[in-house]
Parts: sequence; structure tokens; C-alpha cells
Amino acid sequence: MDIFAGLINGFSIALTGTNILFCFLGAVIGTAIGVLPGLGPAATIALLLPLTYVIGSPVTAIIMMAGIYYGAMYGGSTTSILLNLPGEAASVVTCIDGYQMARKGRAGAALGIAAIGSFIAGTVAVVGLTFFAPPLAEFALDFGPPEYFALTTLGLLLAVTLSGGSIIKGLIILFVGLLLAMVGLDPISGKIRFTFGSIVLQGGFDFVTLAMGVFGLGEILYNLESTLKTEIVTTKLGKVFPTLKDWADSKWAIFRGSVIGFFIGIIPGGAAVISSLASYAIEKKYSKHPEEFGHGAIQGVAGPESANNAASSSSFIPLLTLGIPGNAAIAMIFAALMIQGITPGPFLVAEHPDVFWGVIASMYIGNAMLLVLNLPMVGLWVQMLRVPYGILAPIIVLFTTIGVYSVQNQVFDIYSMLFFAALGYGMRKLNFDPAPLPLAFVLGPMVERSLRQSLLISGGDLTIFVTRPISGTLIAVFVLLIVGQTAFFIKRKMGGKKPPAT
Amino acid sequence: MKKYERITAIITSLGGVWIMVYAWRTLKLGSIHIPDAGLLPFLCGVGLAILGIVWLLVLQQTKGEDKGVEEKRIWYRPVISLILMVIYGWAMESVGYITSTLLFVIAWQKVIEREKWLKTMIISLLGTFAMYALFVYLLKVPIPPEFFAR
Repeated sequence: MDIFAGLINGFSIALTGTNILFCFLGAVIGTAIGVLPGLGPAATIALLLPLTYVIGSPVTAIIMMAGIYYGAMYGGSTTSILLNLPGEAASVVTCIDGYQMARKGRAGAALGIAAIGSFIAGTVAVVGLTFFAPPLAEFALDFGPPEYFALTTLGLLLAVTLSGGSIIKGLIILFVGLLLAMVGLDPISGKIRFTFGSIVLQGGFDFVTLAMGVFGLGEILYNLESTLKTEIVTTKLGKVFPTLKDWADSKWAIFRGSVIGFFIGIIPGGAAVISSLASYAIEKKYSKHPEEFGHGAIQGVAGPESANNAASSSSFIPLLTLGIPGNAAIAMIFAALMIQGITPGPFLVAEHPDVFWGVIASMYIGNAMLLVLNLPMVGLWVQMLRVPYGILAPIIVLFTTIGVYSVQNQVFDIYSMLFFAALGYGMRKLNFDPAPLPLAFVLGPMVERSLRQSLLISGGDLTIFVTRPISGTLIAVFVLLIVGQTAFFIKRKMGGKKPPAT
Repeated sequence: MKKYERITAIITSLGGVWIMVYAWRTLKLGSIHIPDAGLLPFLCGVGLAILGIVWLLVLQQTKGEDKGVEEKRIWYRPVISLILMVIYGWAMESVGYITSTLLFVIAWQKVIEREKWLKTMIISLLGTFAMYALFVYLLKVPIPPEFFAR
């Protein structure tokens, strides 16, 4: 099936009544959680994972999950601009100029350009995804166990190094995630690992309980520590459609943001946060008036918001073509696909073209829906900020509890979710970034299987990882990354400066 | 903060050593030709043991940066909520979904949020009803039956 035929097939799937409805639902939920600070797309998709058991069709389930993810990027800018409070980590940089624009009475223009930029970038990235993903999937068909081992370990390392937090802590979480994935029966030898006599643990931990515990409840518990008060929005929105001058000022920022976001989104661990920061830095560097940045420059809103949307769409490329999730939210979508019995990877386009093309086509539709949801209806989303956290928190707890119970109808899952909630809370208290945990958990079995299969194939010859061109290149990048990070760390220590974080 | 980080670093290292021993003695490493179930756990254990030590060394070298917790935070609220959730999980099977959910939301609103009775009852009843309608009526999820209906 060529790209155009695939896309037409995708639209015929995405445009059915049910899929349009779930795409819309995803866009609405995504915008809502993007607006609400304290609940991210990874947590929300985690909370909704049990629903995928109920939604029979895998295409429909993934269309909704994807809608939540890129919808959150749209919604994240609203609180950044109006309250100087990022609804999403990817919108932190939007606070700088967005809030200044709002203080100058230009909140509407900032929200408008953020939505339009997001729409253009999201669409550009989906076009890129349409044409880039199929050849990459075809290329990945040649991958064997050594390539997969090199790719997954590199992906995990990139996720840790690019997350922006402490590398030591990131690596610790990575190993913990790998170990948690090993609990239960060893798929190759049949040995039981880390179960301590528990029969229910022989099947291993369920990803839903881990995701809901660490991201859903862990976040709730951490937020409960602070008396999060609902801020009342007093800023007047004004006109949400940008003027011709606004458009002229920001069109190149949107274009650059789209391109930067698209390429950064493909790299595991890159995604939305780094792309928005990179876009802001580039806009400031190449602006004729860099002094305006920080005082309400519209390019400071247009660029980063475009970049984070492009990144959120292009981060589907490694998932759909290689089966490698690049960030926590995409790991949740990976799990949702697995729940539906679909293994993401190079065979997806051939074995499940309905899922592959249906999801891509739905992104075009979802982006158009989000533009409508975010431009004329922005006032409605602002009203949502009035919902007290005291009501939201117990509802989320109820939702997660019955949700996790519904997966296997056993209370043990609730207890294991609470264990992960305590773990997630502890991680946040000690400034650990929880993002590598689900990545390591979902990639753990693939890492182990490909390592052991590679050693079996080669008869214990470790050079198998470096003598094959693809795995050799990936391993070289892996080594360069470790050497580079270590040299950087030692240089900082020798220079007497404190490390970025421990 | 630094004190807790030190403790966590030590636990990480000790945990890593324990995993190494468990993987080596119980799971078995196998050989490089035919690796066994303990190989990757062993490597992860080595990683954790080393990272714990490195973290501890880094903490030793960063002097005078213990700013403590950056803002005033109420530690007992998450602890009490976690206890409430454990009780809720137990009660769901013992007394049934509807009763336990209603009692859980009442307890949450009174203990965690310190709401007035009227608001507590409205939120509890609406919350329980909404969850029941969504999961039982719409999504057909089987829930633990009530203790009086068994």
C-alpha cells in the first residue's frame, strides 16, 4: 500500500462516526488537562488505560489517546499566558512572553497565535509523519536482536540524558524500571524472579497499575502537600484572532518551531519540553529585537508553542515504526496498543494498516478540532480553572481505583497501584524525574530478550553488537554519549562548579 | 533534603548489592554463550550499586547547598490519603463498592479537605453516583457486591 492509498484508507477509518467522536473526546480531555495545572498527559492517559479494555477497537482507543496527548499541548499554553502558571511542562517557556503579553492587554492575541501556531505545526508534523514513517518502518524490517538491543538501550539512555534532570537519578530510575519489568516468569528460561512466594506476582506487574500509581496517584499525593488554590482569572482576553502584524511577526517563528519540534520529537527523550526551549532560544538569537524577549514578544509564544505541538506529533514516529516509545505519554500509548494485542514496530504498517493510517489520519482531524476548541472556546476552558482541587483529587482517586480494579477484577491490583503511588510520591519528593520508569518498564522485556537472543545467535561473541553496521553505529552513538556526559561532568567538577543536579 | 538523599543513595547501593547476590545465587547468571535469567538483573544490580556510591560521593562534594524544602508543604495530607486509599481497597472487597466509595469520599472531604457536612455529603453522593453510572451502567465493569446483598 503506497502512502496516498494508505492515507485515503486512514481517512475512511478516522471519519467514521465512532472514531470522530473519540477523536473529539481525546481533544477535549487533552485540552482540559492541558489547562489544569498538576495533571499531565502521561497521567491522564494512564488513568484512561483501563478504558481501552472496554473500547473494543484498537484504532478508536489509540485515536483517543493520541488526541489527549497532542490536545494537552494546545491547552498547556492557556494557563501559561493567563496565570503565568504552566499547565504543561512543555509550556513553561510560554509563560515568559505570553504572560507579559497578557499583562499588556494582549492575552487574546497570545492565545490566538498559540492556537494557530499549534495547528500549523501539528499539521506540518503529521504531514512529516505521513511521509517519514512508512520508509522508516520498511528500513526497520531488517533489524535483528542486536539492532533492537542497541536501539532500545540508546533510546533509554537518551531519555535519561535529554530529560533535563539529574543523570544519576535518571539512571537509577531506569534500572528500577528494568527490574520491575523482570518481576514474574522469565520468558526464556521459565524461572520465577522477584516474586518472594507470591502467586499473583508470577504474572508480573501490570503496566496499568504502575502507570496509574506513579503518574496518576503519585502526582495527586504530591499536589496534596501544597495547598493548591484555584486562581481566579481576571485578565481580559480581548480579540483571540491575531492581527496581520501579529501574523507577519510570528509566521517565521511558527515555521522554525514546526521544523525544530518535528526533528527533536523523533529523538527519544526529546519531545515537547526540549523542543519548546530550543525554539525559544533560536527565536531570541535570530530576532532583530532580542531585547523584546521577556517583555511580551509574540515570537516567544508562537515559536515554542509550535515546536511543542510538532514534537508531540513526530514522537509517534519511533513508536509506530520501531516500537520504541520516546517519552512517558507515548509509553502509555505503547501500553494501550499492547493491551489491544498489537505490538508497535516495523510490522505495524503491514499487519495493522488500519491502526497505522487511521491514527495518522485522525491527527489531521484532531488538529482541526483543537483549533476550533481553542480559539473561539478559550473562555470556556478558563472557567474550568475554577474547579477546586479538593473535588478533583478524590474523583481521580475513585477513577483510578475502579479503573485498575476493572482490569483483572482483583484487589491486589489496587494495592500494587498504591505501592507505585507511594513510589511516585517519593520520587517527586526526592526530585527524581519519573519519566524513564515507564519507558524502562515497557522496553525492559525487549532489552532482555534482544540481549540474550543476540548472545545465543553469536555463541557468546560480544562483537555482534559492533560488527553489524546499524547496531555498530547505534552503539558508537551510545558510547559517545556516555563519554561526552562523563567528560562534561568531570570538567564541571574540575572547574569547581557545582553539577547541574545530583 | 540532603539527608534524605544520602539515605536513598545508601539504600540504592545496598539494594543493588542485594540484587546482585540474588541474581547470582538464586537466578543464576549462566554463561556468555547461554545467558540465564539472572544476567540482566545482575547487571542492573551492579548499575544500582555503583550509581548509589557515585550519588553519595557527589552529595559529599556539594557542600552548603542544603536549602531544605523550598516551600512550606503539608506532609501529613499525602500520608493520610494513602492510608485512606489502603483502607478503601480493603473495604471495597469487604463491604462492597458503593458503601466503601461513599465512606471513602466522606472521609476524604472531612479529613483531608476539612469540608462542611453539607458540601461533604453532596460531593460524596454525586461522586459515588457518577462513578457507579460510568463504570457499572456505561462500561459494564463488574464491581464487588454490597455486603448486605451477598
